[in-house]
Amino acid sequence: MGALAAAIAIGLGALGAGIGNGMIVSKTVEGMARQPETAGLLRTTMFIGVGLVEAIPIMGVVVAFIALFQ
Amino acid sequence: MPDLHLLFTRYRMYMFYILALFVLLWGFTPYRTIFAGLILGTATSFINMWLLYKRTLKLSDAVKSGKTAYSIGSFSRFAYAALAALIAIKFPNYFDIAFTLLGLATSYLVMALDSIIMFIFKRKRKGR
Repeated sequence: MGALAAAIAIGLGALGAGIGNGMIVSKTVEGMARQPETAGLLRTTMFIGVGLVEAIPIMGVVVAFIALFQ
Repeated sequence: MPDLHLLFTRYRMYMFYILALFVLLWGFTPYRTIFAGLILGTATSFINMWLLYKRTLKLSDAVKSGKTAYSIGSFSRFAYAALAALIAIKFPNYFDIAFTLLGLATSYLVMALDSIIMFIFKRKRKGR
């Protein structure tokens, strides 16, 4: 059951992170292609966005390992 | 919004201050496992933030020069977090797992708090 819990936690976390990161990076690349002069601002926004989106999935990974090994 | 280099320099400064505080508290308080877990989590979180910074720069350079950037390193960041969790699970006498988890959130807390503080400063400056 621990393995199942870990698999669900990591799987759903990765799904959320993947969808979120995909949306952020796609919009950033599109913005950079349309307006190269705003690349700096878009880069900064992408950095903060990806960081915040990945926070919870990373905690999910840790909780998954706790469920697996304890 | 400041340039990414300036932003990362500021975040790096805050992370070093937080790590220094945790090391002092580890040395001078009886709660060694708690602060060792926080140091482990914060150090891992700092590595993740630095990795994200490097990958963001690589992506923007790739877009500028028309090349392809294949990833932004999410799997690596998850792997570092898993490594920190495994170390804390393997050595429970030295690292508290709950506080390792809390330490992993440090860089995200720094990013969020810095954004809020900058937003408040901007509003105050606009109000003047």
